[in-house]
Amino acid sequence: MASSSNSKADADVDDEVPEEALEHFDDFTLASSWERFISEIEAVCRLWMADGPKNLLEKGAVLLVCSSNLYKVKSEMKYALKSYCMEYYFESTSDGKAIEWNSNLHDLQLCFGVKEFLVIAPQSASGVVLDAPEASKLLSAVAIALSNCSSLWPAFVPVHDPSRKAYIGIQNMGTVFTRRFEADKIGSQAYSTSDLSLHLFKVQFAMRLTYRTVPYDDDDDIKGIDAELTNSRENPSGETSNRTQWDDDCSWSEWYSAEDPVRGFELIAILSDKMVESSMEMAELENASPHEAEKWLISPSFSPNLLEGSKGSRIGFSSQLHLLVDALEMSFEAQFMEDFVSVENPGSDNLNSSMVIPPPTVIDRVMKELFHEGEQLTEFSDGEHKTSRYIKGAPLESLFAQFCLHSLWFGNCHIREYVREVRWCWEESQSLPRMPANGLLDLSTCLINQKLHMLAICIEKKRQLNEDFQDCIGSEDHTDYSTEEESVAGDETSNKQKPIENFSGKVDSFSISDDSHSSGRIIARDGRKPEDASLPTDKKPSECTRRGSAGSIDSMMLLKSYQSMHAPYTQEAPLMTEDMHEERLQAVEAFGDSFDFSAQLEKDILTSDMSAFKAANPDAVFEDFIRWHSPGDWEEDDLKDSVSSSGINTGKPKDNWPPQGHLSKRMSEQGNLWRKIWDSVPALPASEQKPLLDPNREGEKVLHYLETLRPHQLLEQMVCTAFRAAADTLNQTSYGEMEQMVTKMDQLYLTMASGLKPLQDSETIADLRRLSVVFEHVEKLLTLAASLHRKLLRAPRLSKEIFSDFYSFYIPRMGTGLKEDVVNKEFDKKLEVRNHERGVVSSMFSPPTANQSWRKVLSMGNLLNGHEPILREIIFSLCDKVNGNHYAARDPNASQTEMQTYRMYICGTSNDLRVALSVVSCD
Amino acid sequence: MDSASSQAEFDYLFKLLMIGDSGVGKSSLLLCFTVDTFEELSPTIGVDFKVKYVTLDGKNLKLAIWDTAGQERFRTLTSSYYRGAQGIIMVYDVTRRETFTNLSEVWAREVDLYSTNQDCIKMLVGNKVDKEGERVVTKKEGLDFAREYGCLFIECSAKTRINVQNCFEELVLKILDTPSLLAEGSKGLKKNIFKDKPPQADASTSSCC
Ligand SMILES: Nc1nc2c(ncn2[C@@H]2O[C@H](COP(=O)(O)OP(=O)(O)OP(=O)(O)O)[C@@H](O)[C@H]2O)c(=O)[nH]1
Ligand SMILES: [Mg+2]
Repeated sequence: MASSSNSKADADVDDEVPEEALEHFDDFTLASSWERFISEIEAVCRLWMADGPKNLLEKGAVLLVCSSNLYKVKSEMKYALKSYCMEYYFESTSDGKAIEWNSNLHDLQLCFGVKEFLVIAPQSASGVVLDAPEASKLLSAVAIALSNCSSLWPAFVPVHDPSRKAYIGIQNMGTVFTRRFEADKIGSQAYSTSDLSLHLFKVQFAMRLTYRTVPYDDDDDIKGIDAELTNSRENPSGETSNRTQWDDDCSWSEWYSAEDPVRGFELIAILSDKMVESSMEMAELENASPHEAEKWLISPSFSPNLLEGSKGSRIGFSSQLHLLVDALEMSFEAQFMEDFVSVENPGSDNLNSSMVIPPPTVIDRVMKELFHEGEQLTEFSDGEHKTSRYIKGAPLESLFAQFCLHSLWFGNCHIREYVREVRWCWEESQSLPRMPANGLLDLSTCLINQKLHMLAICIEKKRQLNEDFQDCIGSEDHTDYSTEEESVAGDETSNKQKPIENFSGKVDSFSISDDSHSSGRIIARDGRKPEDASLPTDKKPSECTRRGSAGSIDSMMLLKSYQSMHAPYTQEAPLMTEDMHEERLQAVEAFGDSFDFSAQLEKDILTSDMSAFKAANPDAVFEDFIRWHSPGDWEEDDLKDSVSSSGINTGKPKDNWPPQGHLSKRMSEQGNLWRKIWDSVPALPASEQKPLLDPNREGEKVLHYLETLRPHQLLEQMVCTAFRAAADTLNQTSYGEMEQMVTKMDQLYLTMASGLKPLQDSETIADLRRLSVVFEHVEKLLTLAASLHRKLLRAPRLSKEIFSDFYSFYIPRMGTGLKEDVVNKEFDKKLEVRNHERGVVSSMFSPPTANQSWRKVLSMGNLLNGHEPILREIIFSLCDKVNGNHYAARDPNASQTEMQTYRMYICGTSNDLRVALSVVSCD
Repeated sequence: MDSASSQAEFDYLFKLLMIGDSGVGKSSLLLCFTVDTFEELSPTIGVDFKVKYVTLDGKNLKLAIWDTAGQERFRTLTSSYYRGAQGIIMVYDVTRRETFTNLSEVWAREVDLYSTNQDCIKMLVGNKVDKEGERVVTKKEGLDFAREYGCLFIECSAKTRINVQNCFEELVLKILDTPSLLAEGSKGLKKNIFKDKPPQADASTSSCC
């Protein structure tokens, strides 16, 4: 009888009351609809009682949003054309203990001290609100039903407007006792706890005080974050700029100011059961300090935006990256930069959909900042994340990365102004700011960054050449140098070529070599001064047309001439950007498989080295070169038993001349390419050779590249670089030891590294959008971590645990997004404050300032550093020994124990008070 | 295999790189693998390049193998060859200890520095095991290094051809086992055919000024 189908059938019948008898075999003909309603309630209750919590859970009871332990089931029924909803609330684990105050309690549990209960109310959809007589009628129906099935569940019915949270209720406590409940708002009636205590004795008393810090973001005048952004950053004299933001010293504040995700904290202080015996004591409690409370719980109140998934609600790197990805998508269609970025007509710009377009003056200023105030970098900071390198961007401080970040916040990329500035640097031989002018090109960065690095180096070389040229004309000691060289090489005709171009005077690549060979080569790192003159072993200077020597190698003598070997200055190996490498590899691959293939560039280097060696050692033979350049291919003869190629017996000490040994087999083979080259090269010092890297040509090539960039080529690189630079910026934020955040950051980098790899086609746009969503989550979490960290600097455990709680709360929301039951739940985790942390927490409640004091209302006492509680809840209860409970077989303990005969819950402030009473009476 | 036709159909293109000190036998190993002969070769100037088509695991593979010079003088340029390599073969000579110690002191560092590919498979190869009498680096030392560095290990001889085919095969099988590398291997094809060429040519080869 007690099935849902039955109640449904009844519901149908109810619509047509006169015909009801015909529909059923059950004999309801005599029952009134009221009686049927009661039996229907009874049936449902019996079913729920029979099931018990375990089965109900299996049948899909719903966990309440506010609780971790309270579930409900519901059933609908109709009476007198109205439909009602009856809900049964129960805890999954009923441990029999009394409810504790620190857990998240249901309102009715809190008000009346009950654990499980029934609520019956008109269906909210029907919009019915019960007035008092109706409510009592309904309640008595439930009471009868419960009594019929001997249930001891308390039942409640809401009265009046829901906002009043008024309830009446009843609980059958056996045959003798009934407990009645009533709760209502009292409005602005002042009360005093002592009134209550007059007629009570041995009252149990418990109090819960809730305090809230003054909101951190208390200004209501933050209207448009956009406006504020541009003001505070782009316009230092603007009015908003002198207001300090919470994140002023956070790494992202150079670009934007984030809304503080932590609005404030709530502190709950609980003074649990105390026995109060006189009104004096009662009055005392009113002034009790929260510092005396047994328990402190802290819970953060977060900005609502923290959980809002919708884009646009929050400005940050992620929102800008999102726009950048949009721009990338459009760039695939744009053929030329003019179609895509137009300075004259910024309205048509594709990057700026929702952004404020800065006026030209601002652009000028930023360009100036970018180019003229940026310090010259020698080396990029290595404070980057270990995975940064795998994202093809540019180091955070580099010129291009900064350009990308500026563009991100402009919502517009002023590539042409940018390139114009770059060209200006080139033409004026001004060193490029924010770029190192030396070192190797880092091929793991994006092509534009490599090109800029190359350009910076070319500019530097150009400048050096100019200086050298000037030096040659003006400087005294340098004239010495050149004349000396001139005189030494006087009759060489080839010498009329001035050392014009790219000779930097470094024997760079040999500097690494000192560990690998015993030959003791001289390493000339900064060799402007030839050491020819200082050579003691140089016996025949007249014969010597030695040029371009970086000094002699002490222990090495030439084979065919009694002279020590000189290491020549050599040209630096040319630098190549990725596309040049690519081109070269492609050429090689096209060349294919001919076996004697060698890369032309390296052949050029070898040729240059040989030339220089010949110039520095006019009497050298091929073997000498090999001994210097590839010592592994020169095999020294064993002292005792071998006969050298020259036929002279050995046995002499090493420094004796001539050195004994022979070329390795592979070096002495017929048709050896090395020897072929050796035979064909002229003796030429590096300074007179054709440069391996022509700075003028390479520099122009870089500018040509920049000036003819296709929109999508630019945007692809901007996307990668902007993602990386944004992450690198965020990553500099300190947020304490929050492991989850560290892990999340690591994950973000890995995701970016793989997500940003294939930017070749528009299919990846969707992936990039997802990536910016991931970025947004991480950015939010990071902002939170930073905010918590700085607010609870001296209580790191609290910030860590709050973050950790929020993290576990937030993570399920990241992926799925739309699961209602998850999303609707609010973060309400409370964290117990340990004794030693109370000081820190208490200090967050700084005494209110004068302009905050208007908030003060009639003081209720229980101040915390002068702060009133925002909520004070008090429970008074009175226990009596109860004997005659002979009926309550379900509760065997009841007959012996004390029974709470009177309970009063008061909550609110003095002008907004809510009171709930539970009174046991003997019927 | 059919290493002559460069137009052959293939499913994946993998790029392999050979590094190690001068004279350890990189070029000899490559020659042995590609044309199955052993002869004296000039020391490599800069880099050498070979293509080999193989069928492994039922897949037709094109292997582009870059054989770099061990000479330091060319080392600044070698960074370009590391880029995008799915496999790196690190060779030492079992009869010359310094070629072995240089692997950890020089070459492994270069790999970390220049390899753009986090998942790239590394293989340690001890060459010239035919000169057993002159051996100074034991197999165990090689194994230990491989374990520590997390790479494959094999000993072989370009002269007797022992283990040479194995060496390349094992490396390629491992690459085939690694999804991200596999993806690169197939992407390379598409990229080369469709997208990359026109802008590339436009951007960098055209002369200026
Ligand atoms: N006995 C023996 N000799 C070998 C073997 N492999 C190479 N060689 C010899 O070792 C020498 C160097 O070999 P290459 O292949 O030119 O060495 P590489 O590593 O290419 O040297 P670079 O090009 O200078 O870096 C040659 O004389 C080869 O004949 C081998 O397995 N056994
Ligand atoms: Mg070689």
